[in-house]
Amino acid sequence: MSPRKHAARLTPNAERQTPNAKRTIISWIIFIVLAGWAVSNMISKKPSSTFDVTGFGKLPVLAGGRVMPMDTLARVSLLQMNHHGVEEAAENQKPAQKPSQTQWLLDVLMLPEHSDGAKVFEVTNPDILDLFGWRKAGIYSFNDLQPFFAKIEEQASQAAQTDADARNAFQRGIVRLRDVLRLYVQLKNTIEPQDSPDFGKEVQVFQQAIQPGLDAVRNRDAGKPYDDQAFQRILLFTHRYQSLAQAKYAYAIPNPSGKTENDRWSPFSEALLGAIGTGQIPYPVTAYGQMVSAYRNGDAAGFNQALNQYQQYLRKNFSPELNRPTLEYYFNLAQPFYQSLVLYLVVFLLALFSWLVWPKILSQSALLLLGFAFVIHTGGLILRMYIQGRPPVTNLYSSAIFVGWATVLFCLVLERIYRNGIGSVCGAVIGFTTLLIAQNLQFDGDTMEMLRAVLDTNAWLATHVVGEVLGYSAVFLAGLIGIIYIFRGVFTTSFDENASKTLGRMIYGVVCFATLFSLVATVLGGIWADQSWGRFWGWDPKENGALLVVLWNAIILHARWGGFARERGVAVLAVFGNVIGSLSWFGVNMLGVGLHSYGFMDQAFGPLLAFVASQLVIMAIGLLPLKYWRGIRARGRHVAETGGVPAHAMPQ
Amino acid sequence: MTGKQQALQATPSSAPAAARPGTPVTALLKDVFKPLASLRLTIVCLACAMFIVFVGTLDQVQIGVYEAQLRYFKSFFLYFTLPGSQFRIPYFPGGYTLGAVLLINLIAAHLARFKFTWKKCGILILHSGLILLLIGQLVTSIFEEESQIQLDEGQTKNYSESPYFDELAIIDQSKPDSDAVISIPASRLIKGQTISLPIKGLQLRVDESYENAALINPNQLPSPNYPHLRLGPMAVAVAIQKTYKQNERNQPTAGVTLLKDDQPVGSWALSSGFPQPVQFKIGSDPFEIVFRPKRYYRPFSITLEEFKHDRYAGTDIAKNFSSKVRLVDPSAHENREALIYMNHPLWYSDLILYQAGFGNNDKTTVLQVMKNPSRLLPYIACGLMALGLVIQFGMHLVSFVRRRVIT
Repeated sequence: MSPRKHAARLTPNAERQTPNAKRTIISWIIFIVLAGWAVSNMISKKPSSTFDVTGFGKLPVLAGGRVMPMDTLARVSLLQMNHHGVEEAAENQKPAQKPSQTQWLLDVLMLPEHSDGAKVFEVTNPDILDLFGWRKAGIYSFNDLQPFFAKIEEQASQAAQTDADARNAFQRGIVRLRDVLRLYVQLKNTIEPQDSPDFGKEVQVFQQAIQPGLDAVRNRDAGKPYDDQAFQRILLFTHRYQSLAQAKYAYAIPNPSGKTENDRWSPFSEALLGAIGTGQIPYPVTAYGQMVSAYRNGDAAGFNQALNQYQQYLRKNFSPELNRPTLEYYFNLAQPFYQSLVLYLVVFLLALFSWLVWPKILSQSALLLLGFAFVIHTGGLILRMYIQGRPPVTNLYSSAIFVGWATVLFCLVLERIYRNGIGSVCGAVIGFTTLLIAQNLQFDGDTMEMLRAVLDTNAWLATHVVGEVLGYSAVFLAGLIGIIYIFRGVFTTSFDENASKTLGRMIYGVVCFATLFSLVATVLGGIWADQSWGRFWGWDPKENGALLVVLWNAIILHARWGGFARERGVAVLAVFGNVIGSLSWFGVNMLGVGLHSYGFMDQAFGPLLAFVASQLVIMAIGLLPLKYWRGIRARGRHVAETGGVPAHAMPQ
Repeated sequence: MTGKQQALQATPSSAPAAARPGTPVTALLKDVFKPLASLRLTIVCLACAMFIVFVGTLDQVQIGVYEAQLRYFKSFFLYFTLPGSQFRIPYFPGGYTLGAVLLINLIAAHLARFKFTWKKCGILILHSGLILLLIGQLVTSIFEEESQIQLDEGQTKNYSESPYFDELAIIDQSKPDSDAVISIPASRLIKGQTISLPIKGLQLRVDESYENAALINPNQLPSPNYPHLRLGPMAVAVAIQKTYKQNERNQPTAGVTLLKDDQPVGSWALSSGFPQPVQFKIGSDPFEIVFRPKRYYRPFSITLEEFKHDRYAGTDIAKNFSSKVRLVDPSAHENREALIYMNHPLWYSDLILYQAGFGNNDKTTVLQVMKNPSRLLPYIACGLMALGLVIQFGMHLVSFVRRRVIT
């Protein structure tokens, strides 16, 4: 929305006298500076540690059913523990420097005494704080929570008896706290028993104990004399590693000879116990043992050497599985969606400023930067699709990313056609909002989680789901242009008949697209349902949500064709599309009913209600009698001043 | 766009037939037709449809998907029941009414504007698809039949069972080669009524009937004379509220007396929660009586050979469910193995069997059986609608771009 810019086009002003070429150069300079800043954010920073943390962060590990880099394991685990992504430094560390996520995981895996002091567990619920006698909501360490483990376990097991969707905030919080504490303990035992003083040594001793131990067992079973010491020792090791078997959140040991997906990875305990059978400890266990020992001794060179050897082993024996984790490591580092989120905000600010000063220059830089943000957004999306091997939308998180992407694409097309700055503003606003929503949705854990059985079909995900989400994008875009129409008409004086017509046409065009995508996608969804559930339509909440979007778009179109709604009416109706769209996108997931329960969430109810209320208020403003519309009143005066020649009749 | 508005607004007055001097009949037709074909009615219908979809979806939290379908979408009116009474006041048109009005409106509009032009052919195709879809959904909701087969590994069944409805079955086993089954739907079992059965002058008297019941141990009764039905030495049934929860099933229970020539043959308390047949004799003829989920017998049988529940490595996330079954149909000379898994149902004769559930430590499968004689209609309808949309918006886009290029 750039009333002044529009004015600038009609009436020459100071800026217009600046030569075109110079203006272009200035706007490009602004763009290049900002884009350069964004790129510099994406490039990896030099690691502060002498240990090769980066190399460790790229190591593959199987968690949640997929192979991921250690770095992702660290991020996903931390996201479940607190909402800040990065934990705070332990007290005995240099407070100025926050360790990276991978650094934290390294501590958890290899030096748990250290990570026990790291503040990573967020406790905010006042009732839970009361339980511990604490006052301040904040992030606490494993050591802080240790005295209350019995209490947490007791309360959580009580709370767990309530159905998941009927739990109150305290119950949800305590169950979650217990679960993340369990997760943490599991992590501590992922590549060594957490109490091992020197795991590298332990592995060696174990290796030496296997053969004599097996002989002793065999002799004992045969009733022959046997070495009791060797027998006791192997028994001890067996018990020790059996108790490790509970820690199977992450499978760290690759097994290159495994045929099926399930055989190619095993948890540590399995690898160690398996060694008793084969007599040979797998190399990865030894490699991790060496790394652990070196890390605990502060021996950076030894650690890096062991890591390097393990990497070479992986490259030789496991290369097909290394590609994606390595790529994912850089994807994590670059955070493309976060970068584009920031850029969209900058675009929005640029567009706002362009109404005050330098309309041409700033709006041109805004458009350039929007294009750049879109490129990063697209890059992130493609990387995600490659890493996951899936179409773009697989869960609620990725639907938010994709809604943003599609809307910005629509906006760039609109801007190409109309060149009035509306596209830039809308793209920036919706791009920013949807990516912000996505940021908040990632706290549930791995955003590239494996798909539930029924969703395991790329063809339908790529057509029905993508079409549905494109429909949402268009609905929200139409709604936003509707809001711009209303605000510009009610609050500004630059709302001439031409602007009104243009905005009206834009809304209509976008609503047409919304209808096209949502109808086709809903119909495709029906066919998918018929193929896999045996019925075309089952009045399931998610289906009904999609139907509401289709019906609403149909109403807008018919109201316009029938002449019941003109530009203003369509604008107001389009704003209500935001309500329908948000209910269909998020609202139905809160009901917890039906077959599509893959995107369940319940915490966003308040924000959703607030959003719906805000849209209704905007609609009410849009329904104000025209005499209160500043834009319309100004138009009357304008007509009087220009002797009755309407604005749009003036030469452009 | 204004040109289109007029085109769509056109009433019979602009149609060739009405151009002739109006006879009273055409005038009458016009008067009836005009409101029926109006775009205003379309919008009102669509808005009402949105309302019932919205309210019906919300109510699913309380009454479940199936009951909400019946009340909101497969009904003529939405009713409001006065608290504490049986009065039901219709307050809003239901899905059937709206669908019918929309259908009439659509057809009327097309008849009224039956003037084919290339410009409007997209809209025309789209709407004919819509008409077909509405008709298809109506046919589906009338003729669709949904049932389930629950099979343990190694088990064979030649029938499927309704997930919602129960029946009281009286089985005449007097013939050596086949049984005669009389089935009485649970909804017909009303306390105090007597039902005549089409066999050997038998009558069934309903002494007691619970819509839903909990089966408990007799010593769990609040007091010995708390109203209950005794199912056996270790089990009694007490009436409880009807449930609408997705994962629960009502267990209708009834106390019945079988009469032959007004003389009681026997009295039983039977519950669908305990579908164990009870044997008895009339004269020398062996009979069985059982309260069980409604059965649909099939000309073929299905045997579960193996059920598999695959998980992603190292997790409990389901990757796939699959049932290896053997299908035997003597009448069609079929005897083959088939694999049913997610997004891959088995189509056989007019039925589709798809993987719907599992249980019993991954040893039992639940297959959903759907019968829908009109299942092709939505496909044709959808094809038409998509085609219409693409043509319509495609033409818009082309003319829009052309305009932009010219200016």
